[in-house]
Amino acid sequence: MLFKRICRLLPYPSVSVSLALPRKQLFSSFRSSSRHALIRRSMASDPTATETTRFDFLVIGGGSGGLAGARRASELGASTAVIESHKLGGTCVNVGCVPKKVMWNAAVHAEYLHDHSDYGFDVENFRFSWETLKSKRDAYVSHLNRIYRNNLDKAKIQTIHGHARFTSDPEPTVEVNGRKYTAPHILIATGGQPSVLSESEVPGANLGITSDGFFELETLPKRSVIVGAGYIAVELAGILCTLGSKTSLIIRQSGVLRNFDSLISTNCTKELQNAGVDLWKNSQVRSVRKTDRGLEVTLATKDPEKKNEEDKIRTIEEVDCLLWAIGRHPNTSGLNIGEMGVDTDEKGHIIVDEFQNTSRPGIYAVGDVCGRALLTPVAIAAGRKLAHRLFEGKKDSKLDYSCIPTVVFSHPPIGTVGLTEEEAIKSRGKENVKIYRTSFTPMYHAITSRKSQCVMKLVCEGKEEKVVGLHMQGLGCDEMLQGFSVAIKMGATKADFDKTVAIHPTSSEEFVTMR
Amino acid sequence: MATLCRVRHRWKRIKCAHVLTRSLTGKFDYDLVVIGGGSGGLACSKEAAQFGQRVAVLDYVEPSAKGTKWGLGGTCVNVGCIPKKLMHQAALLGTAVKDAKKYGWQISGPVCHDWATMAEAVQNHVRSLNWGHRVQLQDKKVKYLNMKGSLVDEHTVKGLTKAGKETILTAKNIVIATGGRPKYPTNIPGAIEYGLTSDDIFWLKKSPGKTLVVGASYVALECAGFLTGIGLDTTVMIRSIALRGFDQQMAGLVTDYMEAYGTKFVRKCVPKRVEKLSSGALQVTWSDINTGSEHKDTFDSVLWAVGKAPETKALGLDKLGVKLNKETGKIVLGADESTSVPNIFAFGDIGEGRPELTPTAIKAGKLLAQRLAGHSTQLMNYDNVATTVFTPLEYGCVGLSEEEAERRHGKDGIEIYHAFYKPLEFTVPERDASQCYLKVVCERGGDQKILGLHFTGPNAGEVTQGFSLGFQCGATYSHLLQTVGIHPTCAEELTKVNITKRSGLDATVTGC
Repeated sequence: MLFKRICRLLPYPSVSVSLALPRKQLFSSFRSSSRHALIRRSMASDPTATETTRFDFLVIGGGSGGLAGARRASELGASTAVIESHKLGGTCVNVGCVPKKVMWNAAVHAEYLHDHSDYGFDVENFRFSWETLKSKRDAYVSHLNRIYRNNLDKAKIQTIHGHARFTSDPEPTVEVNGRKYTAPHILIATGGQPSVLSESEVPGANLGITSDGFFELETLPKRSVIVGAGYIAVELAGILCTLGSKTSLIIRQSGVLRNFDSLISTNCTKELQNAGVDLWKNSQVRSVRKTDRGLEVTLATKDPEKKNEEDKIRTIEEVDCLLWAIGRHPNTSGLNIGEMGVDTDEKGHIIVDEFQNTSRPGIYAVGDVCGRALLTPVAIAAGRKLAHRLFEGKKDSKLDYSCIPTVVFSHPPIGTVGLTEEEAIKSRGKENVKIYRTSFTPMYHAITSRKSQCVMKLVCEGKEEKVVGLHMQGLGCDEMLQGFSVAIKMGATKADFDKTVAIHPTSSEEFVTMR
Repeated sequence: MATLCRVRHRWKRIKCAHVLTRSLTGKFDYDLVVIGGGSGGLACSKEAAQFGQRVAVLDYVEPSAKGTKWGLGGTCVNVGCIPKKLMHQAALLGTAVKDAKKYGWQISGPVCHDWATMAEAVQNHVRSLNWGHRVQLQDKKVKYLNMKGSLVDEHTVKGLTKAGKETILTAKNIVIATGGRPKYPTNIPGAIEYGLTSDDIFWLKKSPGKTLVVGASYVALECAGFLTGIGLDTTVMIRSIALRGFDQQMAGLVTDYMEAYGTKFVRKCVPKRVEKLSSGALQVTWSDINTGSEHKDTFDSVLWAVGKAPETKALGLDKLGVKLNKETGKIVLGADESTSVPNIFAFGDIGEGRPELTPTAIKAGKLLAQRLAGHSTQLMNYDNVATTVFTPLEYGCVGLSEEEAERRHGKDGIEIYHAFYKPLEFTVPERDASQCYLKVVCERGGDQKILGLHFTGPNAGEVTQGFSLGFQCGATYSHLLQTVGIHPTCAEELTKVNITKRSGLDATVTGC
């Protein structure tokens, strides 16, 4: 009986992978879920009556935020299911932080290899094998996918494979592969994806890839063109260039990371050029054409000083990797959230309050789909806080979005937390903001011919000189930031920094010895 | 106590005499004379000069038993932190080459390390720092005298040049910051004759070759670590425990990692004698403490890292009655760095009970200069001092060790959160991360104030500094948890730690 119903539901549009499962298995897995109730709706008024599986907590999206929320909810006793259409782990594990940092580490080795002879090592002939690295990276990512899978199984969380779509049922309900699921609490944690330009905006735009495609590359591109000035563009340009691809970075204005503190923006722009990235300022891609020697990217460059002058048109030829890193947009298409009364902003991000509530009671959202602080740990923390609020009765459980530390894995890495100088001046007035800064060559470079600078800035507010922002770029800044961010969140003042005894010899000690 | 009173009394009289002299002859030559141009002495003298004081600093390097000598800047710059960290860096690059291969870098042929190239680069850097310090003194108008300083009275210092020329300087205040020097064992034949110390190792022109490092201090382990890392056959001989004074669980992880890394350890053994064979090799005989059995092996070099002794001998302290700790030979100091003699101050490695760390000396020196110049009354706070041991697996810590926390608060009074984590950089090269560990020792009750924080892993030095600032601000366990992590880093593990030792649960971190 039950089996028949499932079969009847199969020819729905969103059916995908489940179809590949043997029917028997499908059947048994459905039956064996003992922690959730199967309810039957057979009201006369509802001719499409079907059975809906009910959970306490239903999570759409098996990325960092969704999984963290689901696992915490399950720990707190809620019957939970996670719906994921792709691999478990989401952006971070599959096409984000993790594989990115593996690539960055490989690139850091390239830098070390240049320094080896200065440190007395005889390393002359070296060559990079992208293939070796990719297979190891893929193996590691698969390993993580399995860990996530096991973690869900151990937590007795049901994994539902497929695309979720909200139905028109009176009670918020989603349908996956023709089957319906509901819960009093539904979390949308579908994340986002890289944006691409349309063919009408840039003819040939679809000849390019995005960061998702970067992780599918089987060989190191010889000639790369990255478009964008955000952190993803900066990171990928840095990795490709350091690993030996001739890399051009196309930015619309004169610097990268324009929403970062000006010190970082300026320094990072300089470091990219020092590293050998061919930077095209004030430029935009006009068109892309495929030739038998690769892609031909045509660019228009405008001199901002000469407003009336015509754009300078130039082309980059024989490009084997054109990568758009022009932003990300939320994954909401197909969810049918509009009909649910879940409000979104003009960019399609789901609007939530400080407790992650959407405009529809019983539906929540965390992570990139909300468009705020697109970071794995933020999504994880928000997911967990929400679980505590919903299933542990902790009414005030919410994530504080202030002072969230961020690292950009550029070369050298960037660390930043709190307000930029510009933001602080805007909110508190120039007279209430005091800036401390320093720049130096890290000791690592004392005996290397290759050099990079370390720049640091503290943004302090008011008479008590409360530290409201900390910005840095230099070797080791990735690992330096975390501890400082704890202290800044605690409200540390410049005097607290001064009171702290340095750890010698490090770069981070410069923060506690600044004058 | 009676002695102290007598001393005071005597000094009062002499002081009166000097006040008289001063009023007859006018002012002192200087407001401040600093003996010792190391990290502390330089910081103190430059700070004082910035407040308009007339300052002179005397620095003189007595060559080591092996004849090694160096320039201005003291231990840190010449035979400590700086050359040590650079050689540690070289060793890390040695590991990086191995990792690089797993990261897809195809490197042809075996990778060899050339000591002379590294040492020359390090030595040149140190020389540039020596020069930099001289320039800074000049810029700040501090008189630099390359002389061995000793006390004549509470306002007078005698400087002696290498050529034997004497100079007398008078000063309102005198600061002693002469630091310490590595010790040699006294009762081991051949120890001094054939052995090196950390005063020599960084200045060797030729590779030390197969090396025996005797001792288990951080100096011993750091030296053994970088020697192993650049490919030398290295053995550490330990009499009792490693990293005394540090958290012993962490110390164990540090030495376990070194052992896996290739450093050999000979434990519970003491050297008996060192002999030079006709081949030029050094034959070391040692005995096992427990069994008394004797063993022998040959080495190219023997490095003694059995502790440091304060540089007080030539200072003439006894003449003035400056009180020393009989056991350690260090100067007994008040919270304001005052010695038992008025107008004479001391700080840094020479001070009894003071941490032997460059940054504490610098900070203490600056604060002392500010107080002497009447600009501040702030005292140096020697608590909450973070430090990092630059062993192959770095170890950073701040606050109490688990043992000390337990001693002060009782086993039931503390809660320990801990985690074994795997740095992402270890995954691709398939490196064993068994020793990558962190531990946060908290008060058990109330807000769970953090008492101690310990971290082993790559970049521990850079990780620890920020947390030590949090610690300084009185961080609690929940402050850590309230901070959003930075992904993927090693440092973020400290904001995710949630398994208590008490629970006995597996503390291995899985997934992101």
